[in-house]
Amino acid sequence: MEIKTTRFGSIEIELDKVIHFPQGLLGFPKQTKYVLFPHKKGSKFFWLQSIEQPDLAFVCINPFIANPQYEFDIPDRIEKELDIKNPSDVEILALVTFPKDVSVPQITVNLLGPIVVNVQNRQAKQLVLDPKKYPVNYPILLTHTAQLDDSKDTTSASIMS
Amino acid sequence: MLILTRKVGEKITIGNDIEVTVIDVKGRHVRLGIDAPNNLPVHREEVYRRILEENVRAASSVHEIKGLDELEKIIREKG
Repeated sequence: MEIKTTRFGSIEIELDKVIHFPQGLLGFPKQTKYVLFPHKKGSKFFWLQSIEQPDLAFVCINPFIANPQYEFDIPDRIEKELDIKNPSDVEILALVTFPKDVSVPQITVNLLGPIVVNVQNRQAKQLVLDPKKYPVNYPILLTHTAQLDDSKDTTSASIMS
Repeated sequence: MLILTRKVGEKITIGNDIEVTVIDVKGRHVRLGIDAPNNLPVHREEVYRRILEENVRAASSVHEIKGLDELEKIIREKG
């Protein structure tokens, strides 16, 4: 299937690679279908591009790259909702925000509202975590000390288009 | 807006499958118990709003992705 995007022009996607957000992302309840692809070949950054709205796209990253200590529990009701049966069904993404003011190049990651994807059925949801524990704008530049061993970073290989 | 008074332990129902119970009131704090279907997200308004606003910011910020390639380079070098 071919989709139109503002940033990338027309791109060809496979229907079975579509990621479904039945409730959308917060603030974007009507956009429920996205595709994921790397920023560049081998990039740690991915584009989450809306299929339904050409100019809607997010940059995302595996949050554990931004903060190796990051952890949270997926509530039972979410596991049920996304039909998660095994931990290996799950991929986690976090949305990236770029600074308006380029003189302060502080790129941040949203650790408060991570995205959980069931890679088996490709159902996804943005969670709402505890704001006392997780920042909405975690600065990525200060903390890129993650283990970036490629063998450990399997992010999204299975959910990419 | 519907405004009503409830005592501790009393409930309100919304539609057929949402129930809100007043569990406790202490000073300015009210504890509520909310029973709603799994597919119906329930959030503290301010947390929900914070994420929502950050999503909107994130979506509009990708028009200015200066720094992404530099950041990528730093990540690679660290790796």
